[in-house]
Amino acid sequence: MKMLLVEDNERVTRFVTKGLQEAGHTADHADNGRDGLFLAASERYDVIIMDRMLPGNIDGLSLISALRQSGNQTPILILSALADVDERIKGLRAGGDDYLTKPFAFGELLARLDALGRRTRQDGTVTTLEVADLRMDLLSRKVMRGARQILLQPREFKLLEYLMRHAGQVVTRTMLLENVWDYHFDPQTNVVDVHISKLRQKIEPEPEHSLLRTVRNAGYMLSAE
Amino acid sequence: MALVIRSSAAKLAASYVLLGILALVLFALPLSYAWRAAVNDTRVQILTEDSQRLADIFKSKGPAGLADTINERVGLQIAGERILLLADANEKPLAGNVPDWPAGVPKEPGSYTTPITLDGHPTMVTLVRTELPGGYNLLVGRDVARLAPVTTRFWYGLAAAIAVLLVTGVVGGILIRRALLFRIHSIRQTVSAIMQGELSHRLPTGSSSDELNTLSLTINRMLEQIEQLVHGVANVSNAIAHDLRTPLTELRSRLEELSLTRPPPGEAFAEVEAAVADVDRVICIFNALLRLAEIDTGMRRSGFVNVDLVDLCARAVEFYVPAAEIRDITLTYKNESGLLQTSGDQLLMAQAVNNLIDNALKYTPPGGTVSVSTMRPSGEAAGIVVADTGPGMTDVQRARATERFFRGDASRGTPGVGLGLSLVEAVAKLHGGTLEFADQHPGLRATINFPGTT
Repeated sequence: MKMLLVEDNERVTRFVTKGLQEAGHTADHADNGRDGLFLAASERYDVIIMDRMLPGNIDGLSLISALRQSGNQTPILILSALADVDERIKGLRAGGDDYLTKPFAFGELLARLDALGRRTRQDGTVTTLEVADLRMDLLSRKVMRGARQILLQPREFKLLEYLMRHAGQVVTRTMLLENVWDYHFDPQTNVVDVHISKLRQKIEPEPEHSLLRTVRNAGYMLSAE
Repeated sequence: MALVIRSSAAKLAASYVLLGILALVLFALPLSYAWRAAVNDTRVQILTEDSQRLADIFKSKGPAGLADTINERVGLQIAGERILLLADANEKPLAGNVPDWPAGVPKEPGSYTTPITLDGHPTMVTLVRTELPGGYNLLVGRDVARLAPVTTRFWYGLAAAIAVLLVTGVVGGILIRRALLFRIHSIRQTVSAIMQGELSHRLPTGSSSDELNTLSLTINRMLEQIEQLVHGVANVSNAIAHDLRTPLTELRSRLEELSLTRPPPGEAFAEVEAAVADVDRVICIFNALLRLAEIDTGMRRSGFVNVDLVDLCARAVEFYVPAAEIRDITLTYKNESGLLQTSGDQLLMAQAVNNLIDNALKYTPPGGTVSVSTMRPSGEAAGIVVADTGPGMTDVQRARATERFFRGDASRGTPGVGLGLSLVEAVAKLHGGTLEFADQHPGLRATINFPGTT
């Protein structure tokens, strides 16, 4: 994916661009709001990573507002040291699609960028999701593994749906907490792991054909491989 | 400040006095005018009637008869009958109490209030001049000055009233100023003491509900809030200094050791990862403290929405059930109250309830039970109860449980930084509620009480 990083801290910039390149993405960089706005408006990006406090007259939020007003719908991840709940709401209200607070783990950033980048390509009107022989019917709320039906609790269904919608991508624990349970705080427990292993038991009676893998230091990935 | 008050109290008194004087004058002027007019009219009327009667006598008895009547009346010496005069066509006196025809009497018959010369003195009189048949002239009049003392007294009275008003105004102003200054002065002293850092000082207040007292009460509440915030900041700073030092020390020694010993890559990477974990721990404490600070300031009250406590608890329990099962703990939820809604911060309430459940699960041994319930103990109050069958807390522990970074003996070896219950209490407080612990032999019963629910 082609990404734009608008960030004034050199060290963070180096850390993020290097990581993105290693993950197979290309990243342009602007270290102030004016250049960021210029690049975002003139080039096509899959995702924009935006710091909030930028040198110069344009801060991250007004940059986002300006882009959205001009009809630019590129997904934007806000990367900010402002961690209050209110700040997060402000960021999303200005037109950001996701909000990650500094300091952050690179795995978390990468997973969220992947999710944002794919989202644009996804068709909003899907009624069935498929990963290998795992099938989910969103209308009848039935889940099949091969010919066998799997019975899931409502929350398990939601968890699996999220994983299937992001099949082939790393999904972090925080992303699951936010999107499946709507918990925008860190419960400081391994409860998500327990939910995953329970789900795993249900969808994978034979562990050798595992679809749901644990990705070290990052989270989980559901994929056919 | 004193100067402003002094002048404003004086101004207030002065303007009241002026207003009083103005009202008095405005009241007195029309009164005096109406009184004068009424007296004058009556006087003229009496004189006219008198002249009429005398004219009748003249008609029936002739000039000599009238002269007799007049002389008879003058002989009676009726006070106030200053002028009673019958004169011939040439204004030559025939009878009466005035020896000569006074100068200044208008030529035409009629009633007048005019100055004339009487006994050589100019005198203000009201008189009626009547022309009788045969050219005779009749003059009946009264001295206006006779009522002058009454008028004078009226004006003296007015002046005295104004003087009294002035004196009361000045004295009242001084008294008001004194009373105000005294209280302002005590407020000022307290405030200066507070500015010196004596945050525990409070303004003196009485039981009355006057403006100054109300203001003092409001200021006291503000001071209480400030004191609480300042203490909160101080506590947090102390806690940070104390508890961040440990992981930071570990981190530092790890990194220093790494740079000194230069171990082989495999070992080095393991150390680096451990160092990242140390940093994560620091960040975690940091975030928890910031969240607490955010709650303590009370700022989040502005974003309150309607929160469904039953749904919130049900979801929290559902979230933890798999984790409880793994540890062979029965986690149950029971709603004993029907619908429970309150105005609050959804996120913080969820975090508080989750913290309580997490805490209970942590200390409950395998095979135990953690039961969550929502209830309505009375009226509008609501309670969220999390009861476990763990070891419970001693009295000392219960008292200190919500202290920042306090960890009971039972928590040694379990993960956590000792901020979980502090957060629960802070959230309860933010919503006007309380967090209470009770022993339930065995186990602990934690209750969040919310006051206003629907």
